Amino acid sequence: MPDVSKMKKPDVKLVLLGDMNVGKTSLLHRYMERKFKDTISTVGGAFFLKQWGPYHISIWDTAGREQFHGLGSMYCRGAAAVILTYDVTNWQSLAELEERFLSLTDTANHDCIYALVGNKADLTDPKAHLCQDSGVLPEDRRTECEEERTEPQVLSTCPTPPASPASLSGLLLHKQVAREDAVALYGRILRYKGLDEKSSLPADKMCFETSAKTGYNVDALFETLFDLVLPSILRKRHEDQASPTVDLEDCREGSGKRVRASCC
Amino acid sequence: MEVDPHQDREAQAAKVSGPPAESDPPADTLATSLCLLGNHMFPDPVATNACTSINSSEPASLQPSDVSAEDPGPDARPPPDLGAESVTQDSDCQSDAPAHPAGRGTEDAGGAQSDSGEFVVTMLAKAKLEEQGIGVKGRSSPLLEAGIPEPPSFTSHRDEDVTADSWRRHRKHVFVLSEAGKPIYSRYGSEEALSSTMGVMMALVSFVQSGDNIIRSVYSEEHTVVFLQKGPLVLVCVSNSRQSEQQLRGELLYVYYQIVSMLTQASISRIFEHKKNYDLRRLLAGSEKILDGLLNLVDSDPSFLLAAVHCLPLASSLRDSLSQILQKAITPNLVFSILIAKNQLLTIVQEKTVIEDARLAPADVHLLLNLIGASSAFQAGEIWTPICLPLFNPDCYFYAYISYLDPPECTVCLLLLSTDKEAFYAVAECKRKIEEAMVAQNSLSLIAKAQSYSVSQVGVSDLRHFMYKPFDVPDNHRQLTQFTSPEMEAPYSSEEEKMRLLDLYRYMHSRIHSTSRPLKLIYHVAERETLLAWVTSKFELYTCFSPLVTKTCAITAITKLLRWIKKEEDRLFIRYPPKYSTTPNPSKSSKSSRSDQQDATDNGFLSLL
Repeated sequence: MPDVSKMKKPDVKLVLLGDMNVGKTSLLHRYMERKFKDTISTVGGAFFLKQWGPYHISIWDTAGREQFHGLGSMYCRGAAAVILTYDVTNWQSLAELEERFLSLTDTANHDCIYALVGNKADLTDPKAHLCQDSGVLPEDRRTECEEERTEPQVLSTCPTPPASPASLSGLLLHKQVAREDAVALYGRILRYKGLDEKSSLPADKMCFETSAKTGYNVDALFETLFDLVLPSILRKRHEDQASPTVDLEDCREGSGKRVRASCC
Repeated sequence: MEVDPHQDREAQAAKVSGPPAESDPPADTLATSLCLLGNHMFPDPVATNACTSINSSEPASLQPSDVSAEDPGPDARPPPDLGAESVTQDSDCQSDAPAHPAGRGTEDAGGAQSDSGEFVVTMLAKAKLEEQGIGVKGRSSPLLEAGIPEPPSFTSHRDEDVTADSWRRHRKHVFVLSEAGKPIYSRYGSEEALSSTMGVMMALVSFVQSGDNIIRSVYSEEHTVVFLQKGPLVLVCVSNSRQSEQQLRGELLYVYYQIVSMLTQASISRIFEHKKNYDLRRLLAGSEKILDGLLNLVDSDPSFLLAAVHCLPLASSLRDSLSQILQKAITPNLVFSILIAKNQLLTIVQEKTVIEDARLAPADVHLLLNLIGASSAFQAGEIWTPICLPLFNPDCYFYAYISYLDPPECTVCLLLLSTDKEAFYAVAECKRKIEEAMVAQNSLSLIAKAQSYSVSQVGVSDLRHFMYKPFDVPDNHRQLTQFTSPEMEAPYSSEEEKMRLLDLYRYMHSRIHSTSRPLKLIYHVAERETLLAWVTSKFELYTCFSPLVTKTCAITAITKLLRWIKKEEDRLFIRYPPKYSTTPNPSKSSKSSRSDQQDATDNGFLSLL
């Protein structure tokens, strides 16, 4: 692929992954446009550029449908951050992350950071209804639905209307994915990537529960990630200047340079 | 050239041409097969159970016997579109009836064709009833269910009650199922609720297949049921639109191609070879809208009927300058650059070696236009997605870059097709170049002014509307087939009236393209207008006049119209689709492909993919 010089060359790449209908497009739309609207199923992947201070951050909003699975690794190539999204009212959407999407991230940067995001928190959590970007994680409702979580059969009783106004009236849905499950998955992701849990970002920081509908935690998610990928931008610029400085993290990974070449 | 001055003569002719006796046996065979089927499929206890259980919950109206009795009720209105010819139409259908070898028709010849057809409809309805008892419980797997939760906005017409009269009254149903009888798509109602209806359809298909035969269609008084088998998929259309079987089959083919455009033929066959009862909806989930959109477009846009592309009329100088902009913004492996405005083609530029080996088929352009029109998902960001052009190559993907050039209005859309999966950033760079050039030339505001034309511009009184499709002439053989047509204006401004005119055109089209008795020229006096359709070696033309026009007047008008089109053709059509060369591989030079054009058609190009 020819390396084309762009007016706005993106400095860093961020990818949204997750099963269909978990709300990836809505999350991004909430963050970029500050509003929630009915979206329709994404086709392929949609590319956005976001100005973050002096930096250009490119964001890939991918389709969750199996149909587009083949392109997933292309979207992830050279990514500095991957947002793995699931639906808190749908246990299967968390399981899919591990089964279907984790392997796509093999093409991401070796120092890529991973965020686990449970969207649609407004459907299960009264706090997420109102608080806009409070950043406070709900503590109270976590445990009560623990026992249900391994039984996907109960899903049929759950209508999951993501855009339904009914949820505003206080009609709460069953939360199928507890935060602990996400934290556990985060640990497994690190192990899959061969990363050391101690030197990686803590699960507490990287597991989010959000609501694209109310905006709950959405800004916190994106801004935390942008802040975290800044070192990656700086390092990249550094490398571009062909600095002889040895990067400790690169050494640890060993095969660090392999995925770096092809993408912007 | 044959002129049919009056519908009576036409009717007569049609009756003469349709040998009534020969068209019966297949129908009987079918009827018999259905009876057998009934026994195979619904062993008595089950069938009875299903019916009775429903009867108890919803009395009388749901009894199968009522279904056939009801059907004529709401639908009995004479086909409004065909004026005095409704009777002719019926006899026509018979003459076009499925051409099964007559050898199998040994059973008692009592049943009239329409009876057996009605029986099919009844059977289908019965299966639907059974559904309510079994189908809902028998969901494939809860896991799967969870994987594809459908938000309500997608499903409005999918929630339809498939036992309701309103469901049965839809003008045109389309079903797609796998050879294992698994539902894949239904235009109305959810596939789950229809799984046993589709089971019956599959049983029909396989029963006829077991006799080394292929089921093609079933006719009843009200409905035409058309079957199309493509690889491991079975497509079924149940229509009361009075369209010809040929036309309906053509529409099913578009549905098939749209599915192929999303998955490729190769992967569909591979999937079903691997697992016969695979649920293809897993892969198509989220794409229902695209199929829905296609079927709506097929009903409302004559491009599909004519198998030609309608481009937006544009001053040739502007079109040329747009083409040049596209021509200059290239990158390796880019093969098509397409500019679309208001869902119509503005211009299309093709890679040199591609255009030499194969041209883009109108159907592929239709599918692309539908994909873009059916989904607002393209209105944000820059899209990069795999897409297959089934008529170009059903087994390979192109990678499509799709972006609107005028957000937030989103009327002008750029579509760039590459063979390189990884080329997104390079192709996106082409878009920036195109955008810059268009800003420099103020192209967007010029495009915004472009619009379709009014029939009054032709200056022929009494002419209300027309569709003109020139045929390929040898020197532009490699061109895209196009047609031109003015806006539909009063009295065809309401949706109903538009549809009525289109139905008349469809009828004329079916007569012109009838397999048993094609016509070259039809002068058709309908109730509220007069139509004239004419096909020659150079063009195909459909015109609509006010009802009081005389034949001489109409002929003169057509002469004037043809002269006007000739004068305007630079504006109405894309005359010389430009080319560019982006193939980096010198071994694939145009010379080598020219020497053996025949067999290189696809193979040569495959090496690029």
